[in-house]
Amino acid sequence: MINKNPYIPAPVEITKIIDEVDTHDIKTFRLVFSNKDDEANFKYLPGQFAELSIYGKGESPIGIASSPTEPGYVEFTVMRMGAVVPGTVTSALHDLDEGAKIGIRGPLGNSWPIEFLEKKNIVVVGGGFAFTTLRSLIHYMLHKDNRKRFGDITVIYGARNPGLLLYKDELAAWEKRDDIKSIITVDKGNEAWQGREGFVPAVCKEVAPSPKNSVALICGPPAMIKFTLPVFFELGFSKENILTSLEMRMKCGIGKCGRCNVGYKYVCSDGPVFSLGELDELPRDF
Amino acid sequence: MLKKISINKISELAAALMDKGLLLAPVKEISGHNFAEIKDPKQVDLDFHNTIASPKSVFFPHKEDFIKYETGKPIDAASEVALNLPLTFLFGVRPCDVKSFSIMDIHFNASGITDPYWKQRREAAVIFGYAFDLEKSAHPEEFYQTLGIGAADPEGSDVFMVKKGGDLLLNSVTPKGEKLLGELKELNEGKAADKKYFDEYVKKGREHKTRSMCLEPEAVTRKLEDLFYNTDFWTRVSSVCISCGVCTFVCPTCYCFDICDDTLFGQGIRRRVWDACMFTDFTLEASGHNPRTHVYQRLRQKINHKYSYHVRKYGVISCVGCGRCTKYCPVNIDIYSIIEDAMKA
Repeated sequence: MINKNPYIPAPVEITKIIDEVDTHDIKTFRLVFSNKDDEANFKYLPGQFAELSIYGKGESPIGIASSPTEPGYVEFTVMRMGAVVPGTVTSALHDLDEGAKIGIRGPLGNSWPIEFLEKKNIVVVGGGFAFTTLRSLIHYMLHKDNRKRFGDITVIYGARNPGLLLYKDELAAWEKRDDIKSIITVDKGNEAWQGREGFVPAVCKEVAPSPKNSVALICGPPAMIKFTLPVFFELGFSKENILTSLEMRMKCGIGKCGRCNVGYKYVCSDGPVFSLGELDELPRDF
Repeated sequence: MLKKISINKISELAAALMDKGLLLAPVKEISGHNFAEIKDPKQVDLDFHNTIASPKSVFFPHKEDFIKYETGKPIDAASEVALNLPLTFLFGVRPCDVKSFSIMDIHFNASGITDPYWKQRREAAVIFGYAFDLEKSAHPEEFYQTLGIGAADPEGSDVFMVKKGGDLLLNSVTPKGEKLLGELKELNEGKAADKKYFDEYVKKGREHKTRSMCLEPEAVTRKLEDLFYNTDFWTRVSSVCISCGVCTFVCPTCYCFDICDDTLFGQGIRRRVWDACMFTDFTLEASGHNPRTHVYQRLRQKINHKYSYHVRKYGVISCVGCGRCTKYCPVNIDIYSIIEDAMKA
């Protein structure tokens, strides 16, 4: 936690903005701490999130998209909300330019369980926009100091169309590496698309990752999750070896404001990462 | 240390406490009593059963300012709002409400990250607990006995007070309370007979009847877990609920809050304000998804939070049986009856 008072954000500067998708409503913001102490205190692991803070607008809990192996900055990939409910903070963030300063509180929540993942084969399954903290983990695992700590890495990532894939340059780079098996798919391609077409669950079935000494990390829209989980059960993955990251409306991010509970767990402080086994113990109230 | 003072002279005690710090005590308002800052020692009125609002607002005010800023100015120019709390005397708190503080302590102080506001406000306060009048019946909505709380339990107070005829007996419970009592010259020494009266009063308080049922935390937790998907049950018990949230605001152990930015004429404040799980948009996400759109889901959340989730998370039921939620519910929803029905369902 950056501050002694967990409700006070630390200042950060937006040093780089990447327009990720054709619809221009998802951008990656690179943030650099204004104070070195704050940067030193922001010790995070992949899977954690932070509250991005704009005075006069509010705060939004956003997963950290960069990896702690990338010092000097933190990155957040943010969708501009507002189609259904006013996305006050995300809209304000999207309207900012490089050089603007915002606030950050964190790091918050648990993380992908790095120790549990060590020495195991890792299957990362992502859909659409829900790929940001998985990207953090992939960066972390691919770092030269970390790669040997993990077994085979398989990434299955899909989006509705090629223009909606996040981190396009990185996806292309992963396909060229031999220490990560990367399968990128789109529901429907276009004329320029040379890659694979097909829904994520079907691609998972086709790729059929072995459950042996493997953990699957699955994040995506509800429909994708719904049809992907049976595939992994059929492949023989146990509920303890399937992990996901939950979302709930949040305010404080530190387990105090009472908003994001699912049963007796607070998603912000007990999660957001849960195994399916853990979720089975909780009421379906999310 | 046992001291005493004539109830007629309570304003002298109030004046002495006002000399030392901020005094918060029951004050008669149009529709009943509430804790308020005492400006005139004569305002203190101990002729009350319990306050309308719980005293949680002393430690968890309905709005707590975090940060002040000017809109359009750089974020570095914003300033944290300092608390600067005076020594605070919270005078005349009923035992069930005193108990609520320790339940809230677990959540705000003892679990995970400490809430700096709750902690500082708690540390600045001296609590004068006050036994219910055992000569009078408990009110029909009350059920603190069910939660194992006596009508004259001194635990959790710094000083505990009992009425004896025209006198008020004040017994120190903590070193903080003992030090204070030693400093107050307005108080007389309690006699051995007073001490005996005090001890017996505390004991009799354990038998003071409120609505009561046998409620074992683990058993009610399991029962509510079994009942979670019984939509018929939750729909029935919530059928008249209007989601107004009054139950949560008067409750001494409800702690849900919102963090919001208020801006006016270029001046902004980031603050927390009370919120309620009974409101429709409490869990409404930016995507439009809302896990609790139905009123039955929200009442189920509230009951489960207090009697099941809190037990699982912290080992205690988050209810002290003060009965305020029942008394002030505009449609007469009674949490006690819901728990009773749940245990039979």
